Parts: sequence; C-alpha cells; structure tokens
Amino acid sequence: MKFFENNFTYDYSFPAVSMAYFLRYPNPYSRHVLTSDVVDRYIDPETQRLHTTRLHLKKSKIPSGILKLLPKGMGGSDNSGQSYILETTVVDPNEGWMETESRNMEWTGILSVVEKQRYQRLLPAMDQVLIDGASLEQKAEQTAVKTTVTFRSRLGQGKLLSRKKAGADNADPEEEAPKRGFFASLSTAGIQRTIELVGLSRTREAVMKSKEGMNIVLERLRSGGIVGVLEGMRRDREALGPEGPWKRVWLQGNGGNNAAIKDDDE
Amino acid sequence: MAASIAPECNEVKEKYDTCFLKWYSEKYLRGNTKSTDCDELFAKYKTCLQKSLKEKGLDTMLDEARKSGSETDAEFLKKS
Repeated sequence: MKFFENNFTYDYSFPAVSMAYFLRYPNPYSRHVLTSDVVDRYIDPETQRLHTTRLHLKKSKIPSGILKLLPKGMGGSDNSGQSYILETTVVDPNEGWMETESRNMEWTGILSVVEKQRYQRLLPAMDQVLIDGASLEQKAEQTAVKTTVTFRSRLGQGKLLSRKKAGADNADPEEEAPKRGFFASLSTAGIQRTIELVGLSRTREAVMKSKEGMNIVLERLRSGGIVGVLEGMRRDREALGPEGPWKRVWLQGNGGNNAAIKDDDE
Repeated sequence: MAASIAPECNEVKEKYDTCFLKWYSEKYLRGNTKSTDCDELFAKYKTCLQKSLKEKGLDTMLDEARKSGSETDAEFLKKS
C-alpha cells in the first residue's frame, strides 16, 4: 500500500469552495472527465447534512505499459480507455465542513485508488459566522483541505498469479517481450509496488491539476457568481465540442484557432 | 454543466443542476435545509438516468461499488 497526503488552503469561503466542488466539471483542467451524474442525493433528517453520490466517467488512467501486462478486459470496461469513478460527499453547512471520497469502480484488483478529502472552514479571527451572499465574495474566510490518497494493488494475488508464472516459464524474455519478461522476473510484491508507485506519481500531478481547476471555478464564482461559472463552462464546452474533449483538442491544437470554434449551442 | 452519461438525460440534468446550485447557495448553505425546491426535477432526472444505467448494465456495478467500500478493506486485511 502507498499513501499520498497533501494540505492546502483556499483563499475562499467554505460556501464558495463547497459549491465549486460540485461545479468543478467541466473546467480547462478536466479534459479527461467525460460525463458526470448525480445518482443519489438526500439530506439526513437528523444531522441536516447533505449526502451526494456521483458517477464520473473519465478517460482511463491506466498507463499503457501496465495495460499490456493485463489479461484482456481487465483494463476497464472492454478496454475502452474509460473508467468509472464513484464519488460520495457529505456537507455539514453548520459546522462548515465537507468530506469527499472518490474511488475507481473497475480494475480494483490491479490498482485500487481511494481519494479522500476533508474541507474545513477556517473562520477569521472575529469568529463571526457570515453565511450570506456576501460571504461568497469575501476574502476574509479561508478553507483548508486535506487530501489523502491510498493506493493498493492486489495484482498477482489469486488467479492473476498463475498468469505471471506462465509468463516466466515461456523463457526468452529478451526476444519476445522484454517488458513482460522484466515484470515476470519481479516478485508479486514487486509488481504490486511498481503499480502502486506508478499510481502515486500520476496522482501528484492529478491533485495539482484538480486544484488548478477548482481555482478557476472559484475565480469565476467570485467575479461573476453562478452565472459567471455557467458562462465559463459553456465556453469550455464549446471548446470541447461534441466529439469528446480530447479529440477536439487534438484536432484544433491548443489555442489561436478561434475561427473553428463557432458552434453556438452544444 | 457537465454532460450526463446518458445524452437523452442532458436536458433534464441541466435543469436539475441549475436548480440545485440555486438552492444550495441561496437556501441550504444559509441554513434553510428543509426546503425541497428541486425534488421534482431530481426525480425526473433520476428516472431518466436509472433507465439508461440499467440499459448499459451499470446499475448492478454501481450498487456493488456503493456497498463494497468498507467491505473490500475488511476482505483485504483478512487475506494478507
């Protein structure tokens, strides 16, 4: 198992940050997020906390080097390059905190990634609870967030182990499949560690990007309110187009080519 | 707003999302946790979504994933 931990403070109030969390897709840093749905949402009648479960479809994050080692079909739903993420959040507006948990739903035996975040309102010295419209724009209040990501690979345990042994018996790793030979020579624990480390290094980048995305949404919220966020999203979505985000980006490059982005409602 | 996994639900999802944001920022976060402004839209959106998830065979995967959160941890500890 591997862990990643990060602490960060947003210069925005808790209401703004919690709203940005629900509003964070799409943003310019979320091109890998294809769809996002609310599958369940309710208020706990006793605590008044808001519970939300969302399903996100993202471009697969399994590196191709690892994918090649896996039996067909294990790399996500029919190797489509997409993966489902289940996200649950609980918001307590009175105590000023929000807890989130995101986990991958498939290929959890290969690598299970669980990201947990706790957002906590940091009150200004005066200790006044100002949850009104103005607080969305006030800079006085800050929000701390602690992110913890846990990686656990079970690859090689159980039925996957036999495949590894078969690979080792085939010999001639140099000529046929050097990469596979390399992996076959590792112990089960070594493979697991390798995969966990790949996950870890990719997560550092992902956590940074998600922060950038949140900041963009927060800035839009501050300068234009909800309307500002929605307009920003519309622009992002137009830039993405109906073909799916990444294709459009590839086709058009990253900037300058404004003439092509003229579709008005997609 | 982010697109739905079910394109046919995009329209009702957008209506619901907009309603939710308004309710969340103007009511819920200000302490009015009892209001139910968006319940009707959410029911419509959910009906549309569930139908699509079922057609895609995702409903059972979703149920299992939602249940299994803590179970997988316990199971893992038992094995190792």
